[in-house]
Amino acid sequence: MKDVIAVLWLGLAAATVWACSAERDPSAPSATRIADPTDVIDQDLMIALGQAKNFHHKAKVFMTDGNLAAAQAAVRQILSLRFPRGAAEADDVRNDARALLAKLLISQDKLDEAMHTVDEGLAQSQRASFFVANLYTVQGEIHEARAAALDASGESGKAAAIDERHAAIAAYDRSIQINAKLSSAIAEDR
Amino acid sequence: MATPDDDVLSGPIPDPGADPTPAELAHARRFAELVDKTLAGRTPPAMSADDRALIEVATVIRATHGNAALAPSRQRQAIDEALRAPIAPAPARAEPPRGMRRSAPWLVTAASGLVAAAAIVLWLRAPASVQPYRAVPPPEWTSRPADSLVGPIARDHAGDAGARIDALFADRLDGFRARRLARGGTP
Repeated sequence: MKDVIAVLWLGLAAATVWACSAERDPSAPSATRIADPTDVIDQDLMIALGQAKNFHHKAKVFMTDGNLAAAQAAVRQILSLRFPRGAAEADDVRNDARALLAKLLISQDKLDEAMHTVDEGLAQSQRASFFVANLYTVQGEIHEARAAALDASGESGKAAAIDERHAAIAAYDRSIQINAKLSSAIAEDR
Repeated sequence: MATPDDDVLSGPIPDPGADPTPAELAHARRFAELVDKTLAGRTPPAMSADDRALIEVATVIRATHGNAALAPSRQRQAIDEALRAPIAPAPARAEPPRGMRRSAPWLVTAASGLVAAAAIVLWLRAPASVQPYRAVPPPEWTSRPADSLVGPIARDHAGDAGARIDALFADRLDGFRARRLARGGTP
């Protein structure tokens, strides 16, 4: 009888040790975790922002010289910059670069390419922002430019021009909605 | 039998400048002898109530002045008694009853089992997930959308991306430097 009791007792003791030491879930997050390094402004983010800034300045110099092709090339390089994973600034910087690139293309009457640039930006955007709203504004300008071109083509393009103007209004409306929503949200936060 | 001197405590208080009366001198001499006998350990078994009260007061006064010392033999006896207590063998412990001796291991086993079972139950009933504590850095140190910095972009400034990136870079550089300084220069 004593042996049985001893064995039972040892079993319970072993179970206690196991219960106290066993890991509950290896994938469970630690209860004490410092801030995720990707959440804070780090050196990689500053390097990416600095690069974007320099490309913008370079593009501005080319635009001053009237070299729009070189300016476009400089702005396109911003789109290929590598930002830290999850950095919210990445979307904003790329969308702003796309807006500038589209404006450059509009100034050269490359409306389809400009629209493609804007559409890509809208499709890749992760969230609504003032930069997305700006892309819709530029999209509206592209529709307006298309309508003007259709008007200039003669009577055959009148109907299509009206559609383009409607599309422009829709794009501007979308931009206005985003701006209004974000502005009120930021005002509430303050 | 009461003597005329027995009213020394309750009688009239003499003038401080007055010469002592023979009765007072006799009483003082007798009381001095009484004190000497008391100090020598030969206190008379019988004395008047006033004398006993005075003797007690005199004893207390002498003791408070630190003049009361034990005789060497009495000192040694006190020290021996004080030392003997700790080194003396402890008295034999009373044996527990026979029934308690038999049940003690069972009580220990049962208590251990209960503790083990309670630990297992607590582990099984613990919450599945624990919300991790997360140190929140100041907002200006964090990577975040630039909306609040830039604000709505007017149509006339749709292509002013260069100005906006300058503002964004300057703002984030401030946060980066503040964080770095707070960490003692560590990136």
